[in-house]
Amino acid sequence: MNRLWILTGHYGSGKSEVAVNLAIDEQLDYLVDLDVVNPYFRSRSVHALLEANGVSLVESTIEKATGSDLPFISAKGSRPFHDKASRAVYDLAGTQAGAKLMRQYTDIIDEREIEFWLVVNIYRMETANEAQILNLINTLEGASGLKVTGLINNSNLMHETTEEHIKKGDTVLNAVSKKTGLPIVFTFIEEEVKTNLKFAGENRRLIRHLGKHWL
Amino acid sequence: MGKVLMKGNEAMALAAIKGGCDAFFGYPITPQNEIPEYLSYHMAQHDRIFVQAESEVAAINMVYGAAGSGARVLTSSSSPGIALKQEGISYLAGSELPAVIINVMRGGPGLGGIQPSQGDYNQITRGGGNGDYKLLTFAPETLQETVNIVKASFSLADYYRNPVMIAVDGLIGQMMEPVDLDQKIDEKPTKEKDWAATGHAKKRGHRNKIVSLYLDPYDLEKHNLKLKAKYDEMLETEQRYEMINMDHNPSLVFVAYGSMARIARSAIQVLKDAGIEVGMIRPITISPFPEKAFKHLPDSVHTLLTLEMSLGQMLQDVQIVNQGRYTLDFYGRAGGVVPETEDIVEKAKAVLKGGKGQ
Repeated sequence: MNRLWILTGHYGSGKSEVAVNLAIDEQLDYLVDLDVVNPYFRSRSVHALLEANGVSLVESTIEKATGSDLPFISAKGSRPFHDKASRAVYDLAGTQAGAKLMRQYTDIIDEREIEFWLVVNIYRMETANEAQILNLINTLEGASGLKVTGLINNSNLMHETTEEHIKKGDTVLNAVSKKTGLPIVFTFIEEEVKTNLKFAGENRRLIRHLGKHWL
Repeated sequence: MGKVLMKGNEAMALAAIKGGCDAFFGYPITPQNEIPEYLSYHMAQHDRIFVQAESEVAAINMVYGAAGSGARVLTSSSSPGIALKQEGISYLAGSELPAVIINVMRGGPGLGGIQPSQGDYNQITRGGGNGDYKLLTFAPETLQETVNIVKASFSLADYYRNPVMIAVDGLIGQMMEPVDLDQKIDEKPTKEKDWAATGHAKKRGHRNKIVSLYLDPYDLEKHNLKLKAKYDEMLETEQRYEMINMDHNPSLVFVAYGSMARIARSAIQVLKDAGIEVGMIRPITISPFPEKAFKHLPDSVHTLLTLEMSLGQMLQDVQIVNQGRYTLDFYGRAGGVVPETEDIVEKAKAVLKGGKGQ
């Protein structure tokens, strides 16, 4: 696995929760929050948790202004590319608007250093089946100028998720994997779901750090 | 279709399409931007109309025009944008035009902030614009409830020939939750819009006029009384609310709506686990205010604790309905601050101890 993990996907596929989970579990050096779309539930909203886990958060240039509506991109976002010993996860905003932001790094990206992973929840209407996911891969590759290198199954209905839901996501993503040759790198399983099944890729528990329990 | 995971704003937008919305006119503002964004693409897919107007004022007047021609029309905005639309909303009510207005509330006054709030309660329930009028207003708690209400709102607006508002705080617009877009809902019977200004297509020599101007005071009073009769009908038939945990003889009852009700619901569970039973009246309509709910409380009830993400706006309606029967207490946060479950639990415990709490 290359050292820089860039998460892309459709709006609401769960990129931010996955990014925070990966950053903490893998003790990454940086989480770069490039979400220029969402006003709430951004990975920057858990800056204290990330700092406590030794993860440096790169966010808007106006730091810790959780109520800010100005999506400035910090120049610090390029630091992981230069800091060759570091490991980082990039949390992009959804769909083209988010993927396009990777163009700013065109000159410094070394494709041997990055992973460009597609986070998919098949319970989002726009990525419910193989054809839609293949189409999205095309769109995101076009917008970012990068090639998707792997898939992450994050199929869930939040607190209503069952083993069956993850299995359905597994089936759809396996079909995409077969067609494209892209590996399924991780399957994220909602914390409370009881299952003994082994899904494609590394299986990880998803802890919801951004969504509160009463949501 | 089965359940899907949706963001509140997207879900409301799709529900509007499913509810038969013909046209949308709006102007962007956080935290409701996903509504126009979603509709800018999907309305065209359904052969409907989407216009991003040059301002909120323009948008609400486009709503007036389209509604006057008989279309099912939607606009959406957030608090300061809704404030800009007040003149148009008053005109819609005065001209008896059906329209649906989604308000995803944020902190105020003025530009305020972009975090969630319930600070528009007075603006919504006390008029906002000029003259004697009321909006039929829903303040749902979950995305499923929101979707069902948005779908039904167009038929309600048509039935009463009155604007209907769906008022949610920013959290409900931005949160994600599983929803079933195709749940069966109750809709009002549809009537032909024989009042709409559609030219002379049907009756030659007869003109339908859409006006709110009545220069003769007796004519205007007659019009006002006609409007009042509609508001009385809404008061009688549209009050909606949910009673929670009332069969456990609570002495304390929360009154809360929207996201605040979600947090209060969690607090009720935490208190229950600690052996304390607390009930809740959850208004689903805030205009009309569900006064019927307050007439059927168990004998055990002693105190009503109103909870708001504002500083005592709904509290005034609780005071009016209460008429001195129960002891009243209040907890509110403002400015976009969302309280934690523990804050409500502590306040409830303090009230039960006889203290005032925070």
